[in-house]
Amino acid sequence: MQPPQLFSGMEGYTFLPDGTAIPIWGYGWVADGFISLPGPLLEYSEGESVQLNFTNPSPESHTIHLHGLDVDQANDGVPSTSFFVVTGGETTYEFEADHPGTFLYHCHVTTTLHLTMGMYGMILVNRPDMTLYEGGPGYSENAPLLFSDLELETNLNAVQSFPFHDIRPDVFMVNGVSGNQLEQAEQIIDFEPGEPIALRLGSMAYSLLHLNFPAELNAICYMSDGRPVPEPFAVNELDVFPGERFTVMIEPDAGWDGHIGCEYWNIPDQQLEEEQFVHVRDASLSVPDWGTSPAPLGFPNPTQAEITWSGPISLCVFDAAGNSVFSGPLNQGRLNVADWANGIYIAVFPSGKHTRFSVIH
Amino acid sequence: MVPFGTFAQDTLWLARGEWTQIPDSVQALRFNANDEWSGVNATLTRPVDAASSLVVVNLDSIAHTWKLEAEGELDWDLAALDTIVLEMPELPAGAYRFGLTDEIGRVMGASGQLQIGLEADYAHFHWNLGDWSVARMVAADLGLPIAWNEPYVPEQFTINERTYPAVADDPEALVAVSLGDTCLISIANHGFMDHVFHFHGFHVTMISSSHHPERVGWSKDTVPIRMGEVLTVQLVANQVGMYPVHNHNLIAVTNAGFYPGGMITQIHVAP
Repeated sequence: MQPPQLFSGMEGYTFLPDGTAIPIWGYGWVADGFISLPGPLLEYSEGESVQLNFTNPSPESHTIHLHGLDVDQANDGVPSTSFFVVTGGETTYEFEADHPGTFLYHCHVTTTLHLTMGMYGMILVNRPDMTLYEGGPGYSENAPLLFSDLELETNLNAVQSFPFHDIRPDVFMVNGVSGNQLEQAEQIIDFEPGEPIALRLGSMAYSLLHLNFPAELNAICYMSDGRPVPEPFAVNELDVFPGERFTVMIEPDAGWDGHIGCEYWNIPDQQLEEEQFVHVRDASLSVPDWGTSPAPLGFPNPTQAEITWSGPISLCVFDAAGNSVFSGPLNQGRLNVADWANGIYIAVFPSGKHTRFSVIH
Repeated sequence: MVPFGTFAQDTLWLARGEWTQIPDSVQALRFNANDEWSGVNATLTRPVDAASSLVVVNLDSIAHTWKLEAEGELDWDLAALDTIVLEMPELPAGAYRFGLTDEIGRVMGASGQLQIGLEADYAHFHWNLGDWSVARMVAADLGLPIAWNEPYVPEQFTINERTYPAVADDPEALVAVSLGDTCLISIANHGFMDHVFHFHGFHVTMISSSHHPERVGWSKDTVPIRMGEVLTVQLVANQVGMYPVHNHNLIAVTNAGFYPGGMITQIHVAP
């Protein structure tokens, strides 16, 4: 089977908690057809010979730098020492996943701009026995937390974003979302008491991350930059600089429900800009979301003309502010959104199940 | 590189002059290795555990204060147009920061490294990191108040007082080694903000750190260097090729906003 293929795009959007659409550039799977912020999580097994296929249909050249994987020069993704992947071009990056751990990937073309626009993602190299490294502790699941930020002025007008030395972010994200978006079910880390979780921490931010781990998490740092630290240490606070990674194991107290505080500090001025909160809770305290099984998905998503379900369907649609924008049956399963504003919409079905879709023109 | 033991700088000349290594031409203060002006600060080397004297000649027309950041934090006053003799203590192997601590001296960039016994076993390189606001430097040169309360927006980011691509012309900054070699790199942050360097192609081992001694022995590819920190890493050149090393706070890989520039150098590993 042909390995999956990443592509780069420059016509994506991310949505702020108030529903505002912000242009992004980024990566996505060719099979999915859309880019995301951050790019897809890439997972490999220790010892795997990786072939990462990449195609660039976007109007500018891009690359993939495999940050921390110590690949050879040809596969390093730096245009001046490796090569560009020009518009319409494609390549295969090859490397040996020799070391388990947390890594990153990002575009290395005009890096200052392409990163703030969103061209990055996380890479995990896992061991099949679910230990962090040979002789290291075991864990029950990974929880990737990729910290990043962006400057609205740059993303809203990338063409005129020069100069780059005065980029000062004003949107601060964990896994591409912020604020109350971090309380969405898929963003919450649910734990089973007694089962350690490996927090995979990485930063693609321009800010310095200062993380606060409540004592009830029983957090221990085992790795940094894809290597075991000589002496694992209990951690209540941790700074993560741009490009750094840490693996922190948590084994929270039974019944705990709280947050990891994530402070974003402006590096030149050493000022706190904003704090985000990652929700961690005992799985027994989780509340079922609307509907206990997925609602039927519409395609394409995002859409600009119409979104289609397979067959007749009845639904109500609300915008991000909760305003009803459509209600009724769709005999062909086709909803015309050509005149709708850009944004996130929530489709609610008679069963109470719901799904979201985006309109982007 | 200066071979160990063949030369020891015993005098530093503190001078003010035009710094031409960056696109903006500004007045700067430097510790020079002789009485001829250079925009690049001199480096001091000494053997391990050997006390020594250092003559500092202040060619500047105002007084400054000089500090060696070693145990005991050694401070000296430099009167205007005066010459003093400092008794340097015995120090263990490592890299140490020295420089002016008065406001004008800091902003105008007179600072450097004292390297103790680091070239005994391996090739040794050093990176002095600086971030520079031209407005602050001009104000300092004219003796005007420096706007500390305004947002800090440095336009220039340097390694050994040079910006990329000129950094590649500096044999102390460009790490040129052969396959299988081991080398040391001492990195000192003389600037007004934290920095963080990412090594392409390699992990390095932390040998020493003034601010994070608990990280000695860590293997890292992305190394923070706090404001005022000096650290040394060991690199084993285990693959051939050309690999960038750069600040991963990406505003700092620019020259007055142009990319690429600023704090970028390279590792060249010959077969």
